Amino acid sequence: MGKKRKHSEAESAAPPKKDDSSPERPKRTLLGWKDKTQDAEETKAAPEFRNKEKVLVTCSRRISFRYRHLMLNIVSLLPHCKKDSKVEAKSSKGATLNELVELKGSSSCLFFECRKHKDLYMWMVKSPSGPSVKFLVNAVHTMEELKLTGNHLKGSRPLLTFSSNFDKDVHWKLLKEMLTQVFGIPKEHRKSKPYHDHVFAFSIVDDHIWFRNYQISVPHNEADKVARGGLDKMTLVEVGPRFCLNPIKIFGGSFGGPTLYENPFYVSPNQIRALEKRNKAGKFAKKIKAKTRKKMHEISNPLEPDEFADMWKDDE
Amino acid sequence: MSLDDDFLEDDEMNMINEDEAASDSEAESLSDSDNEITEKLAEPTKTAVYNRDGLLDKLQDISWPEDVDWTHKLTVEIDQGPQAVDVNDDLAREMAFYTQALEGTRQAFSKLQEMGLPFLRPADYYAEMVKSDTHMEKVKSKLLYEKKQMEEAEERRKARDNKKMAKEVQSQKMKERAKQKKDEIESVKKWRKQRQQSGFSEKGGGAGELDLEFSNGKSFQRGGGGKKRPGVSPGDRSGGKGKAASRMGNKKREFRDSKFGHGGRKGLSKQNTAETTNDFKGGFRGGKAGGGNKRQKR
Repeated sequence: MGKKRKHSEAESAAPPKKDDSSPERPKRTLLGWKDKTQDAEETKAAPEFRNKEKVLVTCSRRISFRYRHLMLNIVSLLPHCKKDSKVEAKSSKGATLNELVELKGSSSCLFFECRKHKDLYMWMVKSPSGPSVKFLVNAVHTMEELKLTGNHLKGSRPLLTFSSNFDKDVHWKLLKEMLTQVFGIPKEHRKSKPYHDHVFAFSIVDDHIWFRNYQISVPHNEADKVARGGLDKMTLVEVGPRFCLNPIKIFGGSFGGPTLYENPFYVSPNQIRALEKRNKAGKFAKKIKAKTRKKMHEISNPLEPDEFADMWKDDE
Repeated sequence: MSLDDDFLEDDEMNMINEDEAASDSEAESLSDSDNEITEKLAEPTKTAVYNRDGLLDKLQDISWPEDVDWTHKLTVEIDQGPQAVDVNDDLAREMAFYTQALEGTRQAFSKLQEMGLPFLRPADYYAEMVKSDTHMEKVKSKLLYEKKQMEEAEERRKARDNKKMAKEVQSQKMKERAKQKKDEIESVKKWRKQRQQSGFSEKGGGAGELDLEFSNGKSFQRGGGGKKRPGVSPGDRSGGKGKAASRMGNKKREFRDSKFGHGGRKGLSKQNTAETTNDFKGGFRGGKAGGGNKRQKR
């Protein structure tokens, strides 16, 4: 699908044509087709909007296989992304990554950071001055799992569905906007395919963002019309991957800056592990305490002598 | 950062009230390593930052202009419903996601259809898919395997049930037959007793009683289906049909009996007959003739 001519030219050629060509051609707006005669005064948005989103996807060095596969899955889902090599762990993350993003000329970045070979953190960053979010990623299932049986075109534009509680609060709205921009493929991207045959589902449950990717299968004969009653027979098959994001902090700058939002419910996995260890550590001490308690209790409440204790003593 | 320190301390204080949100062990058990526990604090830490204005500012910064075509964004918002979805109930959660996606797709498709844009993939459009063909082969084989397992289990269960049924029927039949036999014997005994009691002198009367006995119960009906020939004792096989096959079989039987029966010809050769009991000389006295003699003498 290598189109040589630049899209910007095509786009810029389009508006003047629309204005000068035959007057009966209706104008297309969000609400449907409008007759040109009706909105003579209405002016179009001056520059034609073009989605020039480019995402840079990288990971940290000691990333485990499952998370690496997740990253590769995401790379295959987003044709407007570019995968870069692993980033050194110890360097001051903010500066190097910002430079990297600018170098590659991307407008946003997804950085996967794996700590202690166990926890995966995902940074979603808008460059150059955009906000950045740090998530903790849970419940990862990659596309390679055999139970996820769906399949779709590589690079076809997904339909994005959000649950309505994204509009409940400001930080969710911001996250929704960022997700739309990062996960939504630009309209006439070079590597994008036509037809919409899969759908992303972002939902907020229990203050986590759950991500699902489904393939749409609907019986149809033509490309732009669903068969009668076909909408009812539509089924979704899960393609994967699946993950669950727990937002930790939202920063004002990219990879740093003033903290705009902290998740009050977030407990870091390190603390969880420490708590478990502490519980386990007290086991022996608790046992000793229980023993002494039992002794004290026995001493203070002596048992009555048993009537039948001597029953078998005389039978020799 | 002092903010971080405060955050940590408050966490520790609030850990008393923690309830563990259990992990994602999904109902379908997709993978094994799903035991990450995410704990949620019962009360939010008081020092969490929430800079609403800053967030709104940033939102304004990054959002696209208002009148952008919907086809750029392709977003649909779906209401989750009044009931909050329980995170730990895997099936309900996945159902919620599925319905959300389904609803969203329906709305989006109706919009796209209004706009008249092609959005459904034609059957002859072949392009690179996100999962390779080999992977899809594996998926298919796994699905087939599972289906086969289920079918086999079904069949086994059915066979087992059938066998059970058959066994029951069989046992029933056996019981019936045994009962019948018992009844027959009982009736014979009764008849004999009656005859004894009434004395053997009254043959006519006895015959009459006999007749009554016979006409009363069907217990003496043999396999012939009620063929009664007078003066024939049971067990008399003289008037049989005599099929050709059985006659031929009889000949075969006779031959075999002569050859092998009662030790056969060879077996007899070392046995004494009336003539040979007192012969102490021993030795072979003309094989065939002697053997044949023994045979005929029987």
